[in-house]
Amino acid sequence: MKPLAEGGIDLFLPETYDIVWSLVILVVIAAVFYKVVLPRFQKVFDERSARIEGGIAKAEQARKEADEAKRKYEERLSTARVEASKIRDDARAEASHIIADARSRAETDAAQITANAQRSIESQQQQALVSLKGEVGTLATALAGKILGAKLEDGAVQASMIDQMIADMDGDGDGK
Amino acid sequence: MGAWGTLVLAAESGPHLPSVEDFLPPEILFEGTPFAINRIILVRLIATAVLLAVMVVTAYRAKVVPGRWQSAVEWVLEFIRDNIVYQIMGELRGRRYVPMITTLFLTIFVFNLCGVIPGMNIAATATITMPLVFAIWTFCQYWIAGIREKGLGPFLKEELFPAGVPWPIYIILTPIQLLELVLIRPLSLTIRLFANMIAGHLLLATCLAFTQFYIVESADKILALPGCLWLVGGLIFTLFEMFVAALQAYVFAILSTAYINQSYPENE
Amino acid sequence: MDIITLAEVAGNISILGYGLAALGPGIGLGIVVGKALEGTARQPEVAGRLQTLMLIGAALIELLGLLGFVAFVMVAL
Repeated sequence: MKPLAEGGIDLFLPETYDIVWSLVILVVIAAVFYKVVLPRFQKVFDERSARIEGGIAKAEQARKEADEAKRKYEERLSTARVEASKIRDDARAEASHIIADARSRAETDAAQITANAQRSIESQQQQALVSLKGEVGTLATALAGKILGAKLEDGAVQASMIDQMIADMDGDGDGK
Repeated sequence: MGAWGTLVLAAESGPHLPSVEDFLPPEILFEGTPFAINRIILVRLIATAVLLAVMVVTAYRAKVVPGRWQSAVEWVLEFIRDNIVYQIMGELRGRRYVPMITTLFLTIFVFNLCGVIPGMNIAATATITMPLVFAIWTFCQYWIAGIREKGLGPFLKEELFPAGVPWPIYIILTPIQLLELVLIRPLSLTIRLFANMIAGHLLLATCLAFTQFYIVESADKILALPGCLWLVGGLIFTLFEMFVAALQAYVFAILSTAYINQSYPENE
Repeated sequence: MDIITLAEVAGNISILGYGLAALGPGIGLGIVVGKALEGTARQPEVAGRLQTLMLIGAALIELLGLLGFVAFVMVAL
């Protein structure tokens, strides 16, 4: 490296025009930055954060509304549920009531039917007894007459007559 | 294009190595007046115009739902706000300084990047004045903050005579603190940025000058091999310079914030 | 500088000076970054804060190296 003329020191001695231009440039840049550029950017930043905050507030509002709706819905649901269970209880009570009714009616009916049957059986028995009584008298008389008639004639006839009579009685009994 | 502009003239003698002259280009407009413009100032003006145009257009088109480009710009702005200012100062006292640090960071970053943009090839921060002006802004801010928050007397007392030190130490400590407060802080900010830009430009321009010399100008074709190595070095240093551009902007912003924060009372 | 004089030792002793000036900050940076890594490994939850502090410290140290560079530029270029 060739040694140059002394002059290195000149680097560190500011020239007048250099000072002037440096100052002018710095003042211009600073003025534009302070007055125009940075305020505008600041405005954008503020607007953005306002938007974001607005968005957050809106979301909050929406959340609250949703909560409210959910609360209402649940309320309605629970009332509906209570109502349904009430209806079910009512229905059940009514059903048991109906069943009890039917049962008691059926029991009454059954008792009545049983009583009727009893009564008709008794009356028939009575009737049978009455008719039996009459017939037994006739038969006894006839039997007695026949026994007495046959005895007069023959011992063998007597036996056959008795047999016949018994057979008659059987036939009568069967015929009845 | 300091390194390349006169390269053709110097082609015969050897590689045109970058020199101090790159940072002291001749005036090309309004010579001799306080408004003279040279190459670096031209680069600076162009960079300013581009930066402002891009930022203003982006700001005017900013929507609540950002597009891809707007997201990127917003990411940078939020990075400066949250990771630099709020992390050091806290949100409450940091809010006042967000525009200042944002301006510093973006301006320095874009100006630094000019060093690797083809056609510009020199950082707009590569004269001592630009970093110095930035540093003076920081300097004013931390003095104002100190005086406003504590009052001039208590502020100086707290800075120059730190509590909890035995008094003989003050003999050494106080001048150092004073020097630190009025000189070292702004100058260190200035020199860090400025020297980084000089070093970056020298490295890059050296790599590219050797590449040009070995590959294009040298008669001996075997020398193209080291030329390629120099080219690779140039590529690597270009990427490195982009990284440095961002890092230096970050460091400048974070140190400014830290200095201002030190002017505030310890605990609030 | 052609192929023959490539190996010539030419230049300025201030380059050596800059090399020396880079030594101390180099060591310092190593310590700062290493300690920051250690701290991060121990307490990953403060990694962001540590990184910020590390960069502030690194920037302060870097300045020392740059001062050497500035001295070199002033004299040599």
